[in-house]
Amino acid sequence: MIESYLVDKMFKSANSLDELVTQDNKVADRWQKLVGFYANLSTDKMSQYYEEVSRQLRENGVTYNVFGDPEGMNRPWMLDPVPMVFSAEDWATIEKGLIQRAELLNLLLADIYGPRHLIKEGLIPFELIYNHKGFLRQADKIKLDGEHQLIQYAADMARGPDGKMWILRDRTDVPSGAGYTFENRAAMTRVFPNLIRENAVRKISSYYQTLKDTLVHLSSKGDNDDLRIVLLSPGPKDKTYFEHAYLSSFMGFTLAFGEDLAVNDGYVWLKTIKGLEKVDVIIRRVEDIFCDPMEFRNDSNLGVVGLMESIRQKKVIVVNPFGSRILENPGLMAFLPQLCEKLLGEELLLPSVATWWCGHDKEKQYVLENIQHLIIRKIYRGTDSQAMYGGEMTSAQLKQLSSDINRSPYLYVAQEMVEFSTTPSWINNRLEGRNAIFRSYIVADTENNTYNVMPGGLSRSSVEKDASLIISNQSGGLSKDTWVIGKKGEELVRPKTKLPEVSLRPETKNVLPSRTGEHLFWMGRYMERAACTVRLMRMVLKSYNEADEDIHIKENDALSTLSKSLTAITDTKPGFFDKTTLKDPEGELIALALDISKPGSLTNSIQAFLSNGYSIRDRLSLDTWRILDSISEESNRMRKMGTDLTQIYGGLDSMIIKLMAFYGLNIDNMTRAATWDLLNIGRFIESAISNCTLLGAMLGKPFERDTYKALMEGTLQCSESLVTYRYKYRSVLELKAVLDLLICNEDNPRSLIYQVLKIDKHLRNMPHQELDRGMGPVAKKLLGATTAIRLSDIDHLSTLNGAEGKYLNLLEFLDHISSLLMEISDMIFQIYFSNNRNRYHRIQTATLPEI
Amino acid sequence: MKYHITHITDYVYASPASMCHNIMVQFPKDHSFQKVEESSYSIEPNPSYATEHEDFFENKYLYFSVDKRHTKLSVVAESTVILDTPEWVALNPATTPPWEEVRDWLHSTEALNDIRQYYLESDHVPFEEGIKEYALVSFTPKRPIMEAMMDLNNRIFEDFDFTSGFTDISTPLSVVFESRKGVCQDFAHFSLACLRSIGLSARYVSGYIETLPPPGKPRLVGADASHAWIALFIPGHDWVEFDATNNLLVDDKHVRVAVGRDFADITPLKGIVYGVGNQKMIVSVDVEPLTD
Repeated sequence: MIESYLVDKMFKSANSLDELVTQDNKVADRWQKLVGFYANLSTDKMSQYYEEVSRQLRENGVTYNVFGDPEGMNRPWMLDPVPMVFSAEDWATIEKGLIQRAELLNLLLADIYGPRHLIKEGLIPFELIYNHKGFLRQADKIKLDGEHQLIQYAADMARGPDGKMWILRDRTDVPSGAGYTFENRAAMTRVFPNLIRENAVRKISSYYQTLKDTLVHLSSKGDNDDLRIVLLSPGPKDKTYFEHAYLSSFMGFTLAFGEDLAVNDGYVWLKTIKGLEKVDVIIRRVEDIFCDPMEFRNDSNLGVVGLMESIRQKKVIVVNPFGSRILENPGLMAFLPQLCEKLLGEELLLPSVATWWCGHDKEKQYVLENIQHLIIRKIYRGTDSQAMYGGEMTSAQLKQLSSDINRSPYLYVAQEMVEFSTTPSWINNRLEGRNAIFRSYIVADTENNTYNVMPGGLSRSSVEKDASLIISNQSGGLSKDTWVIGKKGEELVRPKTKLPEVSLRPETKNVLPSRTGEHLFWMGRYMERAACTVRLMRMVLKSYNEADEDIHIKENDALSTLSKSLTAITDTKPGFFDKTTLKDPEGELIALALDISKPGSLTNSIQAFLSNGYSIRDRLSLDTWRILDSISEESNRMRKMGTDLTQIYGGLDSMIIKLMAFYGLNIDNMTRAATWDLLNIGRFIESAISNCTLLGAMLGKPFERDTYKALMEGTLQCSESLVTYRYKYRSVLELKAVLDLLICNEDNPRSLIYQVLKIDKHLRNMPHQELDRGMGPVAKKLLGATTAIRLSDIDHLSTLNGAEGKYLNLLEFLDHISSLLMEISDMIFQIYFSNNRNRYHRIQTATLPEI
Repeated sequence: MKYHITHITDYVYASPASMCHNIMVQFPKDHSFQKVEESSYSIEPNPSYATEHEDFFENKYLYFSVDKRHTKLSVVAESTVILDTPEWVALNPATTPPWEEVRDWLHSTEALNDIRQYYLESDHVPFEEGIKEYALVSFTPKRPIMEAMMDLNNRIFEDFDFTSGFTDISTPLSVVFESRKGVCQDFAHFSLACLRSIGLSARYVSGYIETLPPPGKPRLVGADASHAWIALFIPGHDWVEFDATNNLLVDDKHVRVAVGRDFADITPLKGIVYGVGNQKMIVSVDVEPLTD
């Protein structure tokens, strides 16, 4: 499979630069072993490897969110089975260059938010900094202790025409991708273990360990029991959310969103179900200007109100420091060579792409004259400032751009269009040369006062040809593992290759944020709601399909009661209580199954279940995650399949199995901690309430014997108790026996008493419920419910009474229990989740003072 | 002159708030020609956290938060300030340097960053089309900078109507420019846009001014308001202050509180409240002349 690639690169495209083939048409040394391997590989086999790599990633749940993607959230992460390769010598140069660049940028950052000598002396133009939105005046004169201000750094590179690696971009605010890099390597190691061993590919784990060590070191607290490191994520909709959840659980950080944190008394607190816990270090993935609506962008709801003040008071460490984005300013690239000479007394080792900052007249003139051959960027990278390619713009656009540049020249930077090297990529079942960008990860090693460069990183290549500089995963790039060829045995002598230590103190470190708790609680409730809806809907559809066409549904008491019960269970009145709907029920049935925007519909409940799940991804095991994925697929499949009732029926069957698999898996896998308890409290509250609703709706009104028997059977079936009933009572269906089994029988897992006792049992494991404090209000309510059920008199409940000839005693009893349960739900909410409700709004002197 | 200033801001919420965070910029500082004799604040409910800081522009501000349930927040700042007649009042505008000379100096590294930062655009002071041309009518070639400024001040006063309620803080400068209407903030922002668009350094000044009652009427307590004007950098005389709203060169009746690029840097009180519902803000300012 490699031959055609070699032929193509060696003979056909003579002038282009390729990673694999050297200028004198030989296979580069670093690729020898790989080429040897590929030479004996058929295309089919390589395709299999590709599938295998993809499967590994899929099974590990590695996803990437693409905003506005028709495929929705959680697009699978794509990995090329062909790596990007660096030789040991090449790497030594790169590593040295990156450390130098990190040190240089660090000095710039310290000066820009410190004495600003460099600006005063004109080594950095004044306008380049003071006009940049990333220059955060609120962060002025605020320093982390020690030499390092820039803690995490990533650089995007590509190989230029001179064969050297050139820097394309610096990422200093919230560099992403290190988590994906780890997953890429894991997948490659599983699929190509020998190839990795033979090439002595350098391990990348020291990076993660250094990051952890540095954060601990910065806290100056030591890794003792109460050190809390939080990873601040924008939330499940962020494109790299997978990585936030993944890195948190892998590094032992607590994953938090802005709403999970609060600043009080100058400290940052994590809201947990046990109460507030102090936060020492925040590693953020939220861009700095979104981090505190009080002092930065006041329309942000991703941040923590007062965080800047807490940093100012040195009550919390935030990494990277606010204001680091100033270094992403591409205009700085033009000045780095002189700055390096001045500050480090060395030549800048890694060249940047030729860059002209338009704030100086001469450069501006050059840019305006050569605009068709340049890439134009704004100095501040924002959503509204994509790179502009002079060559691809119309003359009207160019004119507009030129006038914009003339108006505010200091806001613009131009960069040279460069032909970068291609690298072999597995695309459409063949090797093709594609431009690739390599992102390297650098982290400060504060203990040893240096920077640590990950020997490897994340490479991305374009799927399209000639996409030279615009590769990103957002626009559909392909990722590559990056191999630095080492010397055999080298790994053994490297000092730090241990993986980040797994915390041995899960009780103290792994507390449950309130929001996470709430998501678990609602997952439990929605899972049960969905399951209950499926069971009843299956019965309705079955009897609807079997019903005699001559007899109208309105006259079919069993079917109309079933239908009304479905309305009651899904809480979608009027629904089938409306006579016109009951006359023509198909539309409502389809909506109840498939209309995701209809509250109470099956797909709506499933969606609510899933989105609660996505938000607590860091808490779910891999297998659980896979089941969520398959539930999501099933739900999408049902919606796509359309409105055929028979097909919907089929979908319901597989849905219930998957929902049960979720539950079954969690019995085995979820730690018996608060996570498990909250999921179950939610689940049993929902099932107990549904139980009351179902009994009332199905059996509250008497019918002629056969109909009522059918309804009793339906109720038992829906409660999955029909088999138990038959076993226990033979086949005679009696209301008393049915009620006994579904209300009072403490051995039947579907009975009301069993469900209420379960709530009680799980609640006892929760904080704030310790018995030594006496019985709490929730426990008292639960005792009330338990007692009412135990004292209930089945004879009394199964007596017809009242003017309307209903089972009024039964209905009243069920109403009573049901409202107790809802009160219990509210109380749990108050105790554990109420501090999640931090809706806030701004106040300020909005009307102008007048004089 | 000597003044006692009382600035009261009350927030009344529609439903109780559980917590609030605030930044308050209402503390006059000693200045050339201004001496603060006394300055204090009181906040109700009592803040659980309050710390004084100095911001990037060297203004004093208070960060505070209240962590108990409350439906009303009341913030009072009081100060006693003595004002002298500034040196620039006696200055002959014709003797100041040509404005281009000042501009060129500002754009060299000889000028300090702290001065240069005030010739850049800012959120409330964008260089809208036409503003530069408006400025150049006063800033004719080689004209002494202060003379040109007095002319600009006068033109703004003549061309723009003082209209309260027409603008609020979100009104873009272009609307003010087009409609030629606004209040003191708008006049100040517009002056700044004129000066900065031709490369001069000018900053926003917030503070207070005594309002005189109509002839024959008694002074009403609390009927004053906070005020805004601008300061232009003139080498040799530093920041010289002009008030376009009143068409005057600032004398000894303007109490300075804070300076910044524009209003957003020095909002007198801003905050975030945890809770739902609307709130009502009531501001009252009293500038009482003291005789001693």
